[in-house]
Amino acid sequence: MKYLLLSFLLISAASAQTVLKITGEVSKPLHLQAADLKVMPYVEVKATDRDGQEHRYSGVPVIALLRKAGVTVGGQLRGENLVKYALVRAADGYEVLFALPELDPEFSARTIILAESVDGAALPAGTGPYRLVVPEEKKPARWIREVREIEIRFAK
Amino acid sequence: MIRSLSLILSLLLLGIAFAFTINPPYPLQIPNTFGHRYTIPADNPMTVEGVALGRYLFYDSLLSKNNTISCSSCHRQALAFTDGFALSIGVSGRPTFRNSMSLANLLWVRDFFWDGHSKTLEAQALIPLAHPDEMGLAPEKAAQKLQQTTFYPLRFLKAFGTDQITPELMAKALAQFERTLISANSPYDQHLQGKYTLTPAEKRGMDLFMRGSNREQTIRGANCAHCHGGAQFFQNRFHNNGLDASPLDPGRQEVTGFDEDFARFRVPTLRNIALTAPYMHDGRFKTLEDVVNHYSDHIAQSTTLSADLRGMIALTAQERQDLVAFLHTLTDQEFIRNPAFGNPFLRP
Repeated sequence: MKYLLLSFLLISAASAQTVLKITGEVSKPLHLQAADLKVMPYVEVKATDRDGQEHRYSGVPVIALLRKAGVTVGGQLRGENLVKYALVRAADGYEVLFALPELDPEFSARTIILAESVDGAALPAGTGPYRLVVPEEKKPARWIREVREIEIRFAK
Repeated sequence: MIRSLSLILSLLLLGIAFAFTINPPYPLQIPNTFGHRYTIPADNPMTVEGVALGRYLFYDSLLSKNNTISCSSCHRQALAFTDGFALSIGVSGRPTFRNSMSLANLLWVRDFFWDGHSKTLEAQALIPLAHPDEMGLAPEKAAQKLQQTTFYPLRFLKAFGTDQITPELMAKALAQFERTLISANSPYDQHLQGKYTLTPAEKRGMDLFMRGSNREQTIRGANCAHCHGGAQFFQNRFHNNGLDASPLDPGRQEVTGFDEDFARFRVPTLRNIALTAPYMHDGRFKTLEDVVNHYSDHIAQSTTLSADLRGMIALTAQERQDLVAFLHTLTDQEFIRNPAFGNPFLRP
């Protein structure tokens, strides 16, 4: 019984783990759990990975996450807000950077997503649970795997 | 009124000027290729006296429980601030948990220790001091010991404006000294500046090191630079590099709590790597040849194995020799002989 309770506690602790943080120049810092991401609207994009093949990726548009955190996008992305950027950080410490206009549909025609699945299957270990997919980018170096944090900063 | 105000102001300026003359800022030389992506905490600016004090503390065995071990016992300058052992022996006589890490170019390191559990050098500095299997002395007790000397109170006064010694100030001084340990003058660096010509083997090794293979393997690359690239030859990243199919040391997972971080460890610098044997977080490999053989032939599959290490190419005997030849060009003789980094009790 004791072990049952312990495992229940462990499982609930694991499921309550923050899987994505959105911090920095935001009005609402977010510590999202997997369940929080699940209820957000998903979109599907087609993009070509390093293997040279086109795949279907499904996930939350990064812009939706930024709006949720109160980042200055859309009508607010003007003036000095144009020198803000998103630093995306992976579990292993790898980092990539996007200027906010790259992520905003009012500026960019492509939809960058926080993908959770590829061709209908969950992303594999070492890549998932979340990976950015940047359609039409010639080199997938910013398709950052194992995303854990998006930090919004001002260029100084 | 105005006259007395200006008098006060002049005295104040004189005071500030005096403070700078007795403890000027430390003139840190940043190599051009290294860039400025580093942080020196605003509350611990580097000063000449702060660095000098940190150097004394680094070499002083007074900071250990039985006065036998200093930071420099496990971080010897001649070995690029490592100790040549797989695991180190501290005051308890028991081996440490992991291999002693090289202390080069720490200014650019963001998460210290093999598992990255310290965010700053100030936070890092006192941990080995207090650890029962390293120096085994509570920092507060160490501060008391230093306070009782005739030597240190004056040194702290010069460095920090107070002779009241605290663990916080000790950590600040140690961090200041450690930030000066910059290694950027190896034959490889001289090659970049056009002052050294790589041998054919070193050149082939460098090409292998820097590039990945193409899909058809008409271009062969070991792609070491993918993780150990950049001017400092490390990146602030944590990977499971396939040492074991069932790793025993949880590594980074103990810090983050994520299952995905199990058996991940810091990607260490390869600068001076020929001097810092044995290798890996547990010091299991005695030679660079062992290390190269591991990445070529013996990557163990496990759930958290780095995606970057899946599908490594098997290297030829010649390629292995070339890679090792290139790694030797990262040895910086000036760094290991620089008197400013040596024991001040022997040569101030």
